[in-house]
Amino acid sequence: MRAIILLSMLFAGLLSHAVRAETVEVRLHYVGPTEGTVWLGLQQGLNEANLQGEFLGQKYTLEPISLADLESLQSVTAVLMATNAAQIMELAQLPQFAHVPVINIVADDDNLRAACLPNLLSIAASNKMKQDALAQWHVKHANSKAVAQGWHKSFEKFAASQLNIRFTKAHGVAMDDNAWAGWVAVKLLSDTVARIQTTDAAAMLSYLRNDIAFDGQKGDGATFRDTGQLRQLLLLVENDEIVAEAPLRGVKGGLDSLGLQSCK
Amino acid sequence: MKLKQLLLSTLLLASASAWAEPTYRLFVSNEKSNSVSVIDSRTGEVETTLEIGDRPRGIGLSPDQKTLYVAISAENAIAVVDVASLKLLGKLNAGDDPETFDVHPNGNLYLSNEDDAKATVINPETGEIIEEIKVGLEPEGVAVSPDGSMVLVTSESTNMVHVIDTNAHKVVANILVAARPRGLAFNTDGSRAYVSSEVGNEIAIIDMKTLKITKKSVIDIDKSKPMAIRLSPDNKTLYLTTGRAAKVAIMDADTLELKATVDVGKRVWGAELSRDGSTLYTANGVSNTVSVVDTALQKSVKEIEVGNAPWGLALDD
Repeated sequence: MRAIILLSMLFAGLLSHAVRAETVEVRLHYVGPTEGTVWLGLQQGLNEANLQGEFLGQKYTLEPISLADLESLQSVTAVLMATNAAQIMELAQLPQFAHVPVINIVADDDNLRAACLPNLLSIAASNKMKQDALAQWHVKHANSKAVAQGWHKSFEKFAASQLNIRFTKAHGVAMDDNAWAGWVAVKLLSDTVARIQTTDAAAMLSYLRNDIAFDGQKGDGATFRDTGQLRQLLLLVENDEIVAEAPLRGVKGGLDSLGLQSCK
Repeated sequence: MKLKQLLLSTLLLASASAWAEPTYRLFVSNEKSNSVSVIDSRTGEVETTLEIGDRPRGIGLSPDQKTLYVAISAENAIAVVDVASLKLLGKLNAGDDPETFDVHPNGNLYLSNEDDAKATVINPETGEIIEEIKVGLEPEGVAVSPDGSMVLVTSESTNMVHVIDTNAHKVVANILVAARPRGLAFNTDGSRAYVSSEVGNEIAIIDMKTLKITKKSVIDIDKSKPMAIRLSPDNKTLYLTTGRAAKVAIMDADTLELKATVDVGKRVWGAELSRDGSTLYTANGVSNTVSVVDTALQKSVKEIEVGNAPWGLALDD
């Protein structure tokens, strides 16, 4: 099944700073698989967004919508997509979404990054990022059969173990790449709403692109490249065990040694 | 004559025990060796190592400094140790995964339950859990205000400082701060609180009247991941541990300007300052050492080997 997630924030405008603020309803429209780990990751992100919302005065809900219905909407604040690259590319270029954050959760196609669309943000690591991570690893481990992943159930550093524990406790399965990306997608948006105190799409897009330092529970505050790619470390996994983190130690460029660095 | 002397010394002993003459012992929780290292802070020598329980992290003293409390996270308990005799007096039920705590002037413990998104209040005299207060995800740092009226709790994964009224045991305010807030500290009169953010690499000042952030500063140290905060007795100087940067940042507590850095061990987390402010001790989680920093010299003058993954410190001085 294909998934399209629409984040439709019905109440625009300033949110109150007060403790017992009037609760702002934030509707997240979702089209796609209501099973599998992307969905569970979205649910986890939603639960956590609502826990924060209880303190800060937001209530987030997730509601299904079809691609056709999404395209007919005009007043959209943010769009989450777990579809194929072609559908994401098409949707991101519709005029009514020009200033709306369009978030690609799982597609790893390099063309979505190379397109350098100003409103398209990708959570999953691109193909090229994974290839670069493996190339760094193969310098000293030529015959290794390792694969590059975004997440792993035994990852512990940077409070990854706490996220793994609470995800498994809630859903009974291990967090994987897609679950992590789904969790990130919702929390990026709730973090943005909490910090800028508005649900204006253009303001959110600007904050996401320029100001966010997101705690993805895998290291430094995560930011986006101008390609729209979320900067992140990758894990090299062999026989279901983490053998290294990329970028590997000593590699120049840090996180930007993985994947397409820039649109320039 | 001899009898008189004996009486006098007995009286002195009695009064000494009532006032808990300091032992000058520095206690260090070793997260991965399930122990507490006991250091004589006057000599810098390890006196003994106590087997304490599974995964010790938060550590602190009762208001009279006679009792040491250690959060043993994997046992969902707080270990209670007599400071003078070093005897393990018992273990208090502390709810799921207690990480760290602070002690109220009335003796109650306020602790964070990391995997359970709540703060728990325990009366250590009775062992009773008085209250459980819902907070954000991965609660971490806890600080009781000097007058005991408020408690602050950081939630690492919801990026907030929760302000709890200790009379009602209700959250009265939530302050959004930079990503992954961890350490907290009050100034002496409780007018200000400081909060460190590990992933945001930031420290902020909260005005406790308005409950707003009045100043914040990014820590200009390579690889810095801010953790524990201590303030000099005159409230002018702030000491901040920086995790992977393996340094203590010495900052102006008003302007948050970085004045100096001190090299300490690897992955420096916990910190404790002597009562007179002359010595700062840091727990270096990867080096398995405690650094002794002379705050006048702004230099580490000794590194003491302790257990595996030292986490926090408490000093009876």
